[in-house]
Amino acid sequence: MTAVKSALSGITVLELCGERGHLMGKLMGDMGARIIKVEPTSGVAERLVGPYKDDDPHHDMSLYFWAHNTSKQSLSVDIESKEGKNILKDIASSADVLIEDFSPGYLPSLGLGFEMLSSLNPGLVMTSLTGFGQDGPYRDYKSSDIVSLAMGGIMHSCGYDDVPNTPPIRPSGDHGNKIASHYGLIGTLSALIHRDFTGKGQYIDASAHEACSSTTEAALPTYLYQEKVVFRQTGRHHGAVPTPKTLCKTSDNKYIIVFQLFNNLNSWLSLVKWMTAEGMAEDLGDERFKEMARHRTRTSEEADYAFEIVRKFVAAHTAEEIYRGAQALKFPWGTVRSPEENLEDPHFAIDRDMFPNIEHSEFGDGVTFRYAGTPYKFSSTPWSATRAPLLGEHTFSILSNDLGYSKAKIDTLLDRGTISVSKGFTCNS
Amino acid sequence: MKPTDLPPLNRQNALEGVRVIDFTWIVAGPQCTRILGDFGAEVIKIESESNMDYTRGIPPVMGADSPNKSGLFNTLNRNKRSLTLNVMHPRGMEMLKDLISVSDVIVENFSSRVLEKWGLGYEEQKKIRPDIVYCSMSGFGHSGRDRDHVTWGPTAQALSGLTFMSGLPGQESAGWGFSYMDHSGGFYGAIAIQMALLHRNRTGEGQHLDLSQVEAGIGMTGTAVLDYTVNGRAFRRDGMPPGNRSPDRAIAPHNSYRCKGDDRWCVISVTCEEEWQALIRAMNNPEWSTDSKFSDMLSRYKNQNELDKNIESWTTLRTPHEVLEIFQNAGVPAGAVQTPPDRADIDPQLKHRRFLPEIEHAELGTTRVESIPMKMSETPWKLKRPSPLFGEHSPEIYTELLGVEEEELGKFYEEGIA
Repeated sequence: MTAVKSALSGITVLELCGERGHLMGKLMGDMGARIIKVEPTSGVAERLVGPYKDDDPHHDMSLYFWAHNTSKQSLSVDIESKEGKNILKDIASSADVLIEDFSPGYLPSLGLGFEMLSSLNPGLVMTSLTGFGQDGPYRDYKSSDIVSLAMGGIMHSCGYDDVPNTPPIRPSGDHGNKIASHYGLIGTLSALIHRDFTGKGQYIDASAHEACSSTTEAALPTYLYQEKVVFRQTGRHHGAVPTPKTLCKTSDNKYIIVFQLFNNLNSWLSLVKWMTAEGMAEDLGDERFKEMARHRTRTSEEADYAFEIVRKFVAAHTAEEIYRGAQALKFPWGTVRSPEENLEDPHFAIDRDMFPNIEHSEFGDGVTFRYAGTPYKFSSTPWSATRAPLLGEHTFSILSNDLGYSKAKIDTLLDRGTISVSKGFTCNS
Repeated sequence: MKPTDLPPLNRQNALEGVRVIDFTWIVAGPQCTRILGDFGAEVIKIESESNMDYTRGIPPVMGADSPNKSGLFNTLNRNKRSLTLNVMHPRGMEMLKDLISVSDVIVENFSSRVLEKWGLGYEEQKKIRPDIVYCSMSGFGHSGRDRDHVTWGPTAQALSGLTFMSGLPGQESAGWGFSYMDHSGGFYGAIAIQMALLHRNRTGEGQHLDLSQVEAGIGMTGTAVLDYTVNGRAFRRDGMPPGNRSPDRAIAPHNSYRCKGDDRWCVISVTCEEEWQALIRAMNNPEWSTDSKFSDMLSRYKNQNELDKNIESWTTLRTPHEVLEIFQNAGVPAGAVQTPPDRADIDPQLKHRRFLPEIEHAELGTTRVESIPMKMSETPWKLKRPSPLFGEHSPEIYTELLGVEEEELGKFYEEGIA
């Protein structure tokens, strides 16, 4: 049997990342790169972010950490110590990529900036992913997920228009960090492609603020071209003018997104036929609505009127009935699902294997858990993930096998607290 | 020309020499190819009279007299060239096959059977160009029982769980105020294509990248999925979604706060004792802050309704940018909820980073477009051209790249091939 090929096999990445950047490492690791997560001897802060398995707040039990750190090795070392710095330099000398999300200036203050590391390894691609960038008046401002989403303009577009006195709502799920990571990775990969032809590494200075700022669809163009400011509308697109509400309640107390009612004449006629068969079409068969479908009417009083009738029809059915029925008529409507509800959807769960089992042998032989899986299917070099590393799980093997440190040297580092190893993994094992 | 044909010293762009056939439209696909174009790939955007990019008509449109006046289209399609080609005409199909033979990447975000119907599925593409990288960006992917379902950004956000995860507890979903999954779907397209190019550089092998917009969204719900598969805890439960608070980290204050002005807001996220001390110092040590209810992180977290009211009584007297400055100068993670005018005209950081560079557009005049959000020391992105006018580059692509004679080119227009 031939080994499974990986898109990024042979690429070694040092990851010195917390919440802003850890997704970059995961996405590269799941496609075959070797990711060495360099973390403090007590672990990165994300190991103590909930939820936890069995609600046990232990550094190896964070499900948030698990989700963002698959396919990595953990090397726990105090990079502020002299020996720790040497360890980092030694590994960086033969690595392909270093990704980090510390405050600007932190690594250079340890003598571990790009100039230093690049002098040891001219082919090194180094990506710094910060809140606001390496220069400029906000360089030293502190950031976080919600700060990125606020400053980048995303929150301004998200929230309610029909619930009084409510603030803009941050889309939850770490998306300020995720957008930053996606762009950091996009830049990193482009630099690796450049290196394939030139042998030269480079430095990438990416920021969450700019990344979020360029991820707001029509918000900036609407202002730049028309000097109009979009406002937030419940569960649907921001707009410079109000649009019909798209969230419709179903008989099983869920919601479904109902939109583009008049975007396609055939779909409209089929919908009216379906509603007529159930005696709920009222006067939607009238010619004036067909005209609207022919002209792709977006907003009008007539459209609002039709919407109300459709809304009553939706309310008399379950979300699944409307979702399946409308999709069969080519309406792009979708149920507002809770994430776990996709585990029951046969298309994703069975046909597309979107929730693969990943082994967790630390809880016993054969123990596995289902994860949200691959965001893309590569025909030749498939996605494949292993569980997140325990704290310090690979410290010993990396120092010993990659750097050739003697057992005595490793013991000394352990005694001094320069490195740590996961419980159950000692130098004698 | 393949990338390998270029002498290394002449390479100034990361994706120099990579030719991309771009069948994408609306937002998700163009977001993907915009990134490739920004890095120097040669992106050829293919449209036809009957299948024009829908975004050419999406607001803000500065005049209905032309397909070249949408501001959204301009920002999404800069650095691309436009080719009109009718694939339904046999000669058009021949031209497309010629183009495939000299290209590296094909990207499309049609529904899942369109290229197969044209007789141009991946297997056929490979016969023309064995190492082609083919990226399809459909809603549900190219396999499975629901592959024919159609999605727009909001559909993918709803089905994947992202819409549900955003909102105030006890209210319907606030969701996303734009097509986030069009942006993110585009990011995943650009990530996948570059990974495939790295693999091709090493092995000479191309492949099919089958992307699903919903699955890209599901991939971003990893923590919630694990909470269910490991702990049996559903996200659909009382008290969820969490609004602007932070239940998973159990930190407070972490919220949005009303500021001076009409519908103006700021955010604060305090993660540790040091930042808390800095916060109350910056507010001149208000009396309430000494209350034992706020003595440590856990008590602040438990009493955050009262905590938030106290903080808001301070922020309502100040503008979001005053709050930003006062707190950030004290070392507290805080931000203004910035409006589009804030970002375009006020934000000194975005100005310093040249976030909105200018470029001349033949019909829109001087325009400002969002930059790719990073600085690169060796291969900085370049804003080489504005979005293309419809069919602007057809003559040069047909004659220079595909070897069509001037005479035949005239016929292409007469017969509806170009």
